[in-house]
Amino acid sequence: MNVIRLLVLVALGCALSTAPAAAQTAAPKPPKPQISTATKEKAAEENANPDALVLADFQKRVDAYMAIHKDAAKDAPPLKETKNPAEIKATQEALGAKIRAARATAKQGDIMTPEIQNKFRRLMYPVVTSPAPQGTAGKEVKKDVKEELKENTEERKEEGGKPVVLKVNATYPPDTPLPTTPPQVLMNLPKLPEQLEYRIIGKNLIMRDVDANIIVDLVPNAIQ
Amino acid sequence: MRSLLFVLMLLALAIPALVAQDLTVPMKNGSVKFAVIGDTGTGDKHQLAVAKQLTATRAKFPFEFVIMVGDNIYGGNSAKDYDKKFAIPYKPLLDDGIKFYAALGNHDDPSERYFKPFNMNGERYYTFKPADGVRFFALDSTYMDEKQLKWLDEQLATSGSEWKIAFFHHPPYSSGETHGSDETLRTQLEPRFVKAGVNVVLTGHEHFYERIKPQKGIAYFITGSSAKLREGNISQTELTAKGFDAGYTFMIVEIVGDNMYYQTLTDTGKTVDSGMVHRVGKVEPTPNRTSQPVVATGGSDKKIPAKPVK
Repeated sequence: MNVIRLLVLVALGCALSTAPAAAQTAAPKPPKPQISTATKEKAAEENANPDALVLADFQKRVDAYMAIHKDAAKDAPPLKETKNPAEIKATQEALGAKIRAARATAKQGDIMTPEIQNKFRRLMYPVVTSPAPQGTAGKEVKKDVKEELKENTEERKEEGGKPVVLKVNATYPPDTPLPTTPPQVLMNLPKLPEQLEYRIIGKNLIMRDVDANIIVDLVPNAIQ
Repeated sequence: MRSLLFVLMLLALAIPALVAQDLTVPMKNGSVKFAVIGDTGTGDKHQLAVAKQLTATRAKFPFEFVIMVGDNIYGGNSAKDYDKKFAIPYKPLLDDGIKFYAALGNHDDPSERYFKPFNMNGERYYTFKPADGVRFFALDSTYMDEKQLKWLDEQLATSGSEWKIAFFHHPPYSSGETHGSDETLRTQLEPRFVKAGVNVVLTGHEHFYERIKPQKGIAYFITGSSAKLREGNISQTELTAKGFDAGYTFMIVEIVGDNMYYQTLTDTGKTVDSGMVHRVGKVEPTPNRTSQPVVATGGSDKKIPAKPVK
């Protein structure tokens, strides 16, 4: 009887001592798909993959944004090489102002709808969060992102900058470094036209208009 | 008394040039001569000191262009910033018609590509050929997307037997404590470089100077201390051929035939590294290598300690 008690105690002790360690190393679980009822119904109707429909919807929304961009660019002075940096900034701001005006009611989620956000989190999970990351250097990606964020935050403090506030349809915060977007992340996300780019700011993924320097939309907590 | 003061003033002005006398590069007629600076755009006294020494060095070593490996304009990017962090420090060189070729760093606004004096042709990545037999590839390592990689593959494939020198911001190999090797980027670029026979890679990001032991036939240099410095930031690793993290630096480089001579100088004109990269002659293309040149050797690796005694 004493032997059994002893064994039970040892087993309990082992379980208690290993539990915290296991909890520490456990990576966040992959995000569960969140597909809207409308998309599910459409997928059933068209015999299509719901994820493919989500990505097609994203493409459609990007195209709609690009139509606004191109329309605004028609009236704005073209960005071209110049010796005068003030001209570059003025051109960028002029384009930005036209786009902002055309999207005056734009809000977060207009392009990155909840189901698109969820899809993006799922696309990014394998390269930035998964316990078994993609590629040989995949586990470095999250570390790189964290390090760069730390460096940028420190530098911003040194330069007396305020904390970065990300706002859709607003200019990308001035004097704020543009963090490097890891190539693996880019490989996993839908391609963008050359006027747009993805950037990771903290845990968020933003879509930025390069020529107009505008935050087009964002995925909060893209990195979990 | 006034004459004495005048002579003393002249001497003081000449000191940086005098210190930079011990150049080891061969200075041959008709060679390709250039300088490399990195992480420059602060506009502070350190950038000015390096710029002054760079100008003084040119009096002796007439380089024709300057490679900027990113972080060209830190902080704001107003016209005032461009003046303070680029036009003023390098004014003597710009006035002499020296061309600057920039790559984008993580602190650069991509709109810098439209700034004519950076010679980026409005592109985030580009290539240029300063002379027959030498081609440079400027990459945007902050945004290495599929489109850029495809472009790189195409450009490398058509570059033939030239010296192939790639420059960008993030170092694929580094002994830096703060950043270290960018393995993610290395995964993307190294196989392409090896396949195409890239000879030399120039980078910054780490605020020190490091020459990496040749990796898979490629010579890697980090020159990220032309205005910013992280003292004592180089870890002892197997990668280092020569490291210097005790002062502000820039490089001068000369290509003569199959040899590339380099010399790294501080803002006071002291030489911290010098040597030669020799590329092996022509090699027939193979399925794994479309072009020929490979780097055979580094410089004075073993004679110099990896970390200077402070």
